[in-house]
Amino acid sequence: MAEFTSAVYQNEYLPDGGTDVNAIVTISCTGAGEAGKTGAGDAGEIIIVDTSGSMGQANMNAAKQAAMVALDHILDGTYFAVVAGNHKAYLAYPMVQTGAGMVRMDPRTRAEARRAISFFRADGGTAMGTWLNLAKALFASVGPLGNKHAILLTDGENHNETQSQLDTAIANCVGHFQVDARGVGVDWKVAEIRKIAQALLGTVDIIPNASQLGAVFTELLRNSMARGVANAELRIWIPQGAQVQFVRQVSPTVEDLTHRGTPVNQLTMSYPTGSWGDEERDYHLAIRLAAKTVGQEQLAARVQLAVGNELLTQGLVKAKWSADTNLTAQINPEVAHYTGQTELAQVIQEGLAAQAVGDEATATTKLGRAVQLATETGNAEATAKLRKVVDVTDARTGTVQLRRAVDKADVMALDTASTKTTRIRG
Amino acid sequence: MSNEEPWPLLDGGGTTPPSAVEGRCPTCTYPVTAWASFCEGCGAPLLPTAPPPPLQPSGGSTATRRLGAEAQPRSCAQCGGTIDADGYCQTCGTKAPDPRDHSEAAPAPWLAGVCDRGVQHTRNEDALALWVSPEGDRAVLVVCDGVSSSAEADVASTAGAEQACRVLAEQAVGSDDAIAEALVAAAAEANAAIAAATTGEGVSAGSATFAAAVVVAGSPGLDPGIHYGSLGDSRVYWIGDPGSAPDQVERLLLTRDDSMAQEFIEQGMPRDEAEAMPKAHAITKWLGSDATDVVPRTGVLRPGSDGWLVVCSDGLWNYASEPAALAEQLDAAAVADPSPLALARALVAWANAQGGQDNVTVALARHTVRLEEPAADVAAGEGKPIDG
Repeated sequence: MAEFTSAVYQNEYLPDGGTDVNAIVTISCTGAGEAGKTGAGDAGEIIIVDTSGSMGQANMNAAKQAAMVALDHILDGTYFAVVAGNHKAYLAYPMVQTGAGMVRMDPRTRAEARRAISFFRADGGTAMGTWLNLAKALFASVGPLGNKHAILLTDGENHNETQSQLDTAIANCVGHFQVDARGVGVDWKVAEIRKIAQALLGTVDIIPNASQLGAVFTELLRNSMARGVANAELRIWIPQGAQVQFVRQVSPTVEDLTHRGTPVNQLTMSYPTGSWGDEERDYHLAIRLAAKTVGQEQLAARVQLAVGNELLTQGLVKAKWSADTNLTAQINPEVAHYTGQTELAQVIQEGLAAQAVGDEATATTKLGRAVQLATETGNAEATAKLRKVVDVTDARTGTVQLRRAVDKADVMALDTASTKTTRIRG
Repeated sequence: MSNEEPWPLLDGGGTTPPSAVEGRCPTCTYPVTAWASFCEGCGAPLLPTAPPPPLQPSGGSTATRRLGAEAQPRSCAQCGGTIDADGYCQTCGTKAPDPRDHSEAAPAPWLAGVCDRGVQHTRNEDALALWVSPEGDRAVLVVCDGVSSSAEADVASTAGAEQACRVLAEQAVGSDDAIAEALVAAAAEANAAIAAATTGEGVSAGSATFAAAVVVAGSPGLDPGIHYGSLGDSRVYWIGDPGSAPDQVERLLLTRDDSMAQEFIEQGMPRDEAEAMPKAHAITKWLGSDATDVVPRTGVLRPGSDGWLVVCSDGLWNYASEPAALAEQLDAAAVADPSPLALARALVAWANAQGGQDNVTVALARHTVRLEEPAADVAAGEGKPIDG
């Protein structure tokens, strides 16, 4: 049985009249078990592969190989399906017209699925909304499932759908299944794919070279199969009259959850966190309270992890009003660290967006600040990726110049990795 | 299948979803609510047939299992909400006072005690246990003071006081020797209980002092008297009522501390000077897994007059070590209300007013020489005969 623990990092002390409490809450899961094997219901896995014409023969062959390798990492007994997508969505496997659109993995179905994948041919356009809608219908066709996860591979822009068609499809799928999205090559749009992955509680990344596809699919499926806890929620209780200013996941990536909550009761909101393996996630929350008099103490938030209606761990965020400025002036190091990391993600994305529209002044300022923050917070990955896009004159002051000849894959890699954070604790 | 033909496309919908049938999903029969817009079981879309109920009133969802065992619910002094098991109000988040910080007991009209955190300390590591026999002819008073250098001092003192009180209630009957043996047994069993309740070892092992008294009232078959024993620096005093002749008043410190201060006194230093020495409060005997000598010094007193038995921790006697000084505070408090609970509260309040540097525990028993009070004799005699 999975065990969850929590730890709270904050400066509890507020000055006289102080109202804002910031805290980092770390939630850890151990003993998660394997997806579909923990009594939380069967697991479902869908592999969605872009088969549009732009894939070309080389990318298509690599994607077929990768999808076949991925099948090997889906545990026997897991419900699965393979979807081929271009401007339409096709159920490639299982080959059924009606009824359940997913079957359990076993040696026979694995071999049949491999054969179905071998027939993929690059042709047609791209309409990812229809792929997502088909995946949702497939998951729904097999009855109650615990973990529901899809991997989505594309190589191009969503040419055959309007923005709102894709947005509607994404909104329809929210809460139904999780998607890890990957783009191969440099002809796809990071913002488009990130939108899918963020809404569906997954990750986004670039695969610059099709030869890396097999390794990426293997890792994604292994991670997915190691998430034995399905549909966990982060619950945040706040006192009557208080406000949640924001709640963000800040590790392993920055994801703003503030507007994703649904009420559990008048004082408690629930935020979806998807499935969990053995891992730690950090959340940053900011609560605004009515100020109390010096010497008083009160609870600012109860931060809980729940599966179903069972609370598995709880962290307490406190507020103590004090006249001692030595206590109240301190900024908790974890809070400071993740505040910096969140700004880092923001300035990278804003800097790249400015660069894309030719606003070099803004791009230089934002990416300069990014270099400064990445250095200050010890984010080596961001620093390395930034250095491929800008020439750094002085990292501490954030003095940089935009590089003239930049590999587009490096820009996209910086963009997709912008939300990845580093931790300051072992 | 040839790859020239399109793969079968599963129809994703586009029609109006069905509604729940008798509270179940029409697709998979999973139980659903009338206001569900999709089935929690299979995820199929549903057309709601009723609006959702209003949100539940404040506090945790009723379906939600609370973390940890929930003791009897307490109300928030600030807003009237319920205090959660985590010690904070479920509605306004106000921190509820810790019940460990202050407790009172008054198991008989002549027996009461108060255990308080004091002013300076953040945790109450004292513990108090009182017991009175159903016949009202025998009482047990135990005070344990957790040693602050140990992490689980509060756990240790509670375990020790409760166990000692249980043992004395059962065994402190009969001759003076039998009751003295019971006091020794109580200390030994309290020691075992502390060792079992705490986890630390060495200097951080949970440990506590021990002061206990057994009051035997004067009733048929029982030899009246006050039996006492102690280990460490918690104390038992006898404060006799002032009689007609002032020089005959009994005001006694019955126990002898196992402390550095006591050793200084025995070397000839005056008490006030010894108790002000830097290491005066270091104790030389205690209960706990690292204790070496857990045999208390015991004694018995047969008072010549009515009076008060006082069992207390150093949080009180720090401010009134001499029996006369303690008697002065007791007399002052008795003017307002001479009941034992009122006196115990008053003594704790006084100690806190002096600075409250340590946890303060006071247990009081009114002892009367009943042979001089026939009325009380009749009252006690109305019950069943007592086995001696």
